[in-house]
Amino acid sequence: MDFIKGIFNVLADPRLYFFLMVLSLVLMVWKREVFTSKAVGYGVLIFLTLFFALGGLDPNFQLIITKPDNVPIVGLIFLLVFFTWYSMRQAVLNDQRIAKGEGPIEKAESDRVWVWPDLVYTELIALILCSVVLIVWSILLKAPLEQPANRAVTPNPSKAPWYFLGLQEMLVYFDPWLAGVVLPSLIIVGLIAIPYIDKNPKGNGYFTFAERKVEITVFLFGFVILWSSLIVLGTFLRGPNWNFFGPFEYWDTHKLEALTNVNLSEYFWVRALGQGLPTNYVLRELPGILLCLIYVLVLPPLLARRGFKPYLAKLGAPRFYVTVFLFLMMMSLPIKMLLRWIFNLKYIVAIPEIFFNI
Amino acid sequence: MAEKKAVGHAYNIDFLNVVFAASSIFLFVSTIWMVWDDFDREWKNTQRQFTQLELEVTRQQLAQSERGVDRAKMQGLQQQLAVSQKSIEANRQRIDEINDRMADIDARLYRVNQAAQFAKATYDVNRYAFEAERKENPEGIGERQKEVEAEAERVRERNLEVQKIEAERAALQAELGKYTSQAAEAQKQIAEITFEQNRLRRLVQTIEPSVVKDYFRNAPLLDFMAPTLTVRQIVTPNVVDDVNFARVAKMDRCTTCHLAIDRRGYEKYPQPFRTHPNLQAYVGSDSPHPMATTGCTVCHQGLGGSTSFNDASHYPGNPKQRQEWEEKYHWHEPHMWDYPMLPTNMTEASCQQCHRQEVYVPNAPKVNVAYSTYERAGCYACHKTKGFENLRKPGPILTRINGKLTEDWVKNWVRDPYAVKNVTWMPKVWYNSNSNSPADHPRNEAEINAAVAYLFANSETYTPAVASPPKGNPAAGEQIVRSIGCLGCHVIEESDRAAVGPRRTFGQPLKSVGSKTTYAWLYNWVRDPKHYNPATYMPDLRLTDPQVADVATYLTTLTGSNGMPAPVTPTQAQSDAVLLDYLRNLMPLAEAQGRLEKMDVKAKQLDLGQRVIARYGCFSCHDIKGFENTQPIGVDLSEEGSKLVTRLDFAFVDIEHSKLEWFHQKLKDPRSFDQGRVLEPLEKLRMPDYHFNDVENERLQTAIMSFQRDVQPASALPARTAKRDYTVRGRALVRRQNCVGCHEIEGDGGDYRTVVTDPTLAPPMLTPEGAKVQPDWLYAFLQAPITIRPWLSVRMPTFGLDDGRWNAIIDYFEASGNSIGPFRTYDHAELTSMAGPGRQLFDLLRCQQCHVLGAIPADQPLSNLAPDLRMTHERLKPEWILDWLRNPQRIQPGTRMPQFWPAPPYPKSAYPQLGGEAEPQIRAIRDHLMTLRGGPSPKRPAGTAQSTN
Repeated sequence: MDFIKGIFNVLADPRLYFFLMVLSLVLMVWKREVFTSKAVGYGVLIFLTLFFALGGLDPNFQLIITKPDNVPIVGLIFLLVFFTWYSMRQAVLNDQRIAKGEGPIEKAESDRVWVWPDLVYTELIALILCSVVLIVWSILLKAPLEQPANRAVTPNPSKAPWYFLGLQEMLVYFDPWLAGVVLPSLIIVGLIAIPYIDKNPKGNGYFTFAERKVEITVFLFGFVILWSSLIVLGTFLRGPNWNFFGPFEYWDTHKLEALTNVNLSEYFWVRALGQGLPTNYVLRELPGILLCLIYVLVLPPLLARRGFKPYLAKLGAPRFYVTVFLFLMMMSLPIKMLLRWIFNLKYIVAIPEIFFNI
Repeated sequence: MAEKKAVGHAYNIDFLNVVFAASSIFLFVSTIWMVWDDFDREWKNTQRQFTQLELEVTRQQLAQSERGVDRAKMQGLQQQLAVSQKSIEANRQRIDEINDRMADIDARLYRVNQAAQFAKATYDVNRYAFEAERKENPEGIGERQKEVEAEAERVRERNLEVQKIEAERAALQAELGKYTSQAAEAQKQIAEITFEQNRLRRLVQTIEPSVVKDYFRNAPLLDFMAPTLTVRQIVTPNVVDDVNFARVAKMDRCTTCHLAIDRRGYEKYPQPFRTHPNLQAYVGSDSPHPMATTGCTVCHQGLGGSTSFNDASHYPGNPKQRQEWEEKYHWHEPHMWDYPMLPTNMTEASCQQCHRQEVYVPNAPKVNVAYSTYERAGCYACHKTKGFENLRKPGPILTRINGKLTEDWVKNWVRDPYAVKNVTWMPKVWYNSNSNSPADHPRNEAEINAAVAYLFANSETYTPAVASPPKGNPAAGEQIVRSIGCLGCHVIEESDRAAVGPRRTFGQPLKSVGSKTTYAWLYNWVRDPKHYNPATYMPDLRLTDPQVADVATYLTTLTGSNGMPAPVTPTQAQSDAVLLDYLRNLMPLAEAQGRLEKMDVKAKQLDLGQRVIARYGCFSCHDIKGFENTQPIGVDLSEEGSKLVTRLDFAFVDIEHSKLEWFHQKLKDPRSFDQGRVLEPLEKLRMPDYHFNDVENERLQTAIMSFQRDVQPASALPARTAKRDYTVRGRALVRRQNCVGCHEIEGDGGDYRTVVTDPTLAPPMLTPEGAKVQPDWLYAFLQAPITIRPWLSVRMPTFGLDDGRWNAIIDYFEASGNSIGPFRTYDHAELTSMAGPGRQLFDLLRCQQCHVLGAIPADQPLSNLAPDLRMTHERLKPEWILDWLRNPQRIQPGTRMPQFWPAPPYPKSAYPQLGGEAEPQIRAIRDHLMTLRGGPSPKRPAGTAQSTN
C-alpha cells in the first residue's frame, strides 16, 4: 500500500505531473478513436472513483479532499474529464459520419428545435437534481468558518480561490507583474479575440474534431493543461510555503526546498564568460532581452515563412500575426516551466531596479 | 388549432420518466433529511432531555414541599376554614342580600363616577377656553367667568356624590366582612403555607409535556413559529470579545444546553444539567458575578456563540474525561477557535481579566496558590511579567560569596542543587536533557568552574560582626528553631516541595546548611541578618547571644549530602574551546583566536565566567557584581496566556499541539524541545530545570494562562475606590513579605498551623485586625513588637521595614475591616454611673480567669488563654470591643471567648446589673476596661524592659 502511495507521490511531482498531463492530451487527440470508446470512458471513471475512494482512506489525502473548499475541485476533476471525453466522443462520431458522407448528427433534424417535452423535461430533471445536490451538500458540509481574522497571522499555505490557483501556480515561474497582470490580461484578450481570428467556418453547431484540429488542440492545451490541471495541482499538490507535497504526503511546515535558481544573465556573464555582472542593467540583461525580442519579433515572421505558411494565407497578415502572438504568449508558460526545470533558470530578463523581470 | 404532428424525440421519454421519478424521490428524501437534520440538533436533544429532568426534579421538589408542610397547623387552619364556611352557609341569605346591595351600589358608583369624570373633563375644557379668551380679551368675560365657576361647583358636587357612595360601599363591605373575614383570614394563611407547593404545582403544569407543545410548537418544520426549544443567549454589554478588528459584546449561548446552571437543586445531576458550584460567588443573581452581566466565556473561555459541543471548544480536564468525550461526543481538539475553554481546574486563570494584577483574589484559591508558586519560583525574575515588576530578586546575594561559601561547595551546588536540598527553589542549569551526554561533560564543567571563579573573584570581603563566636547547646537550639517561628518560612526535613507550599519555603530550606557554611557565618546571620545582606527579608528574632549560639550550633548539626561531584575535570584545551565558542559568535574566528592567545589562564577563566553568567542569566535571581543593570534573558510572559498556539515551537516532541500541553512539557523539561535537533552548543535552550512535580506544573500553567491581553473595558472592571486600592496593595504585600506564612488573613494563609499541635498555639488570625486595633498602636507594635500572648512560644519578629510598607499594611487592615479613614485617636471618659457596675461585671464574669495579668494562670489550658486586658486602652478600638463582646464567634470563629449575651435573652441580659439590659452592661464593661493601666506597650520609650520569651 505504501509502495503504491509512494508511486503516486513521485508521479505527482510538478515536472512528471505536467509531462503526464501533456502526454495524456497528446494520446487522447492522436488515438482519439480508442480513447473515446465507452470502455475507456468507464475505465477512466472507475479508476478515478477508486483513486479517490481508496486514497481517501489515507489520513493526509482525506484532509485535502474533505476540506469543504476542496470538495468542488474533486467534482471538477470528474466533470472536466467527463465533458472532455464526451465532447471528443461526439466529435469522433460526427467525424466518422462526415467521412461516410452522412453529415453530423446535429444536422439530422435541424429545422426543428425540440422544446416540449425534450428541453423542458430535461430542464426540470436538471433542476430537481441540482436541488438535491445543494440540499445534500448543505446538510453534509458545514460552512468553513475559522477563527476571527487576525492581521498578525497569515495562513500557511495561503491559497487563492480555486479559479485563480492556475495563476498562483504561474507565480512560481513568473514575476508577479507578468503572472498576475500581463498574462491574465492576455488570456482575457485572447478569449475575446477568438471570434475575430477564427476564420474556420466549419464545426458551426455540431461536434467535430477533424475539421477543427488545430483550434481544438490549442484550446484543449490552454484550458485543460495550462488552466485546469494547474488548478488541480494547486489544490492537491501544493502545501505549506507553496512547497510540493505528494497527495499522500504529510504537510510538514518545516520542509525546506533549496531555491538555487539562476538568472540568464548570470549564466551568460558569470558562468559562461567567467566575468562579473556588468553594472549597467541594459548591458547585463542584453542576452535575455535579445532572446525575448527574437521570440516576439523574429519568430512570428519566421513561422509565417516556414511552418505556418498555410495559416498566413488563410487568415491574412493581421489576423495571422495576432494569432501567432497570442499563441506564443500562451506557450511562454510551458517554455518557462521547462527552462526552470531543466536549467534552474530564474529569470530570462532580470531588472529588479525597475521591478521588471521576465 | 394546428394538429399536433408526430415528431421525433431527442430522448426516450419513458427513460426520462424513470429518471424524473427517481430524481423526484431523491428530492423528497433529501427534503425529509433536511427537515430531520434541523429537528435532530444536538442542543435540541439536550433540551428535550432537560425538560424530562426538570419535570422529575420539580415533582420531587413538590413532593418534598408537600411533606414539609406542618400537618397539625394545616389541619387546624382547614378546620377553621370549615367552621367559618359553615357559618357563612348559616347566614347565606343575609350574605346574598348584602351581595345584591353591593352589586347595586357598584352599578351606581360606576355611573356617578363616570358623571364626575365627564364633568371634570368638560370643566377643564371650558376653563382652558376661558383662560385663553381672558388673555385675548381681559374685560368683557364676566359672564364666562361665572359659568366656569358654576361648572367648578358642579364638579365638586359630583365628587361629593362619589365619595358618599364609596362610604356606603365601605360600610356594606365591613358588614359583609363580619361574616366572611374569618374564612378569608384562614384562606390567606393556608395560601401562605402552601405558597411554595402551589408555585411548584403551577410550574409542573407549565413544563409538563402536552400535545400542543410536542406536536405543534416543537414539531419538525413547524418549529420556526413558537418553539419551546430555543437557543438561549446572554449578551453582556460590558464584557467584550476581542475579534482582532473590533471588540464586540460577548454573546454566550452556553445556557442553551446548561439549562440549570443558575438553579439550585441540580447539584447531583450529570453535566450539562448540573448547577454551577459556589452560586453565591459565581453565576447567582446575588453574587458578585451574576450570569446576566458576566456571561460564561469571560471566565471559561471557548466559543460562546456556538450551540454545538465540539465547536464550543470544550476542553477535558483529565485524560479519563477526554476518553469519555471522544466516545460520547466524537470530541477532537478544537481547531477553529484560538482560545479554547480552560479545563475546569484552571478556570480561575481568567480572574485576571477583571481583577487586574491582583495577587490575591478572594474565592479563587487555585490561582492564588498559582501566583504564590510563580513568585516563589522567581519566574518573574527572568521572564518580565506585568504585575510582577519591581519585585526583589528571589535568590540570595552573591556579592559577598567569599565570606559565606567555598568554591567547591558552590560548584557542587550549581551542578545539581536537588542533590543537596531537594526542596530548594534553585534550578538546575547544567546536566539537563540537552547537555547530558558524555561529550557535554567537559563543556559543562568548564562553564561551571568559570562561573564560580568569576563569582569568587568579584566578591567583596565580608567581615562578620563577631569574628569567633562561642558555641552553644544544639538541643536547646533545636528547641528554639522548632518553636519560635522559624518554621513559618523555613523547612528542615520536609522533602515534598509542592506539599509544603511556597509559603513555608519562603526562606532557604535548612537541610544540609551545616555542610554548606561555617559556624561563624551562621552565628552572625542569625544574630543580625541585615549585616550580611541589608536587603534581606529575614527578620530579627530578638534572640540573646547565648540563644543565637544555641541556634547556630544546632544548624551546624544539620549536615547532609554534598551534592553531585564533577564527573570529569576539563583540560585547559577544553576550557579554551568553550571560550572560543563564545567569542566566535561575536567576532571572526581569527580575531577570537588572537584574543584568546593574549589572555592568561586566570583571565580566560574570568572572561568565560562572565560570559557564562550572562548567557544563563544567573544575575536575574542573584545580585552579582557587574550585572546590576543587565536585562533578564527570558521571554516576556505578560500576554503568554493569549499567545496563539501557532507561535509555539513543538520541534520533535510528540505531544498534542495545544498551548497547555506545550506549557506542561516546557515546565516539566525545559530543554526537551532541543531533542532530535542538530544544534551548536550556544544555540541550545537555556531555561533551567526546576524539578516541578505535576501539582506545581499545573499551578504554573494556571498562572501562565492567567497572563492574558487586557481586553475588558473599564466598565467591566471592579470599581476603583481607595478601599479597594488599599486592599489590593495590602493583599499583595502580606504575601510578598510572607505574613500569610504565619498568620491567616482573609481566609488564606496561616501555614504555621501545620507545625503546631493546637491551632491556638499558632500566630493569631489577622482578618479583624483593622477593625480591632488602634492604628498608631499597630504602627508602634510593628516597629518594635512586644509580647501580647506570653504563653506562646512563637514570637512576632522585628522586620525593620520602611514606613511606606508599614502604612500600606495598616491601610490594608483598615480597609478590610471597613474602618478606613484618618487615623483616629481616642479620648476616653468614663461615666461615674457606669464605673461600679462595670467593675462588678468584670469580676462577675471572671475575665481574669483567662486574660493574663502579668503571670500566666496555671490552672487554665493554654488554648483558653487571652491577652492582657491592661493593653486595651491603647490597643483596641472601643467600638470593636462592643462588637466583640456581643458575638465573638462572628469575628473569630472557633475562639474560646464565651458569648455572655446570647440571642435569647438578648437584648435582655442574664445578669442583673444596670436593669438587666445587655447593651448598657456591655458598654459598662468596655468603659471599665478602658480605665485599666500598666500593661505592656510598644509605645513606651526605648530602654524600658519589655517582657519577651
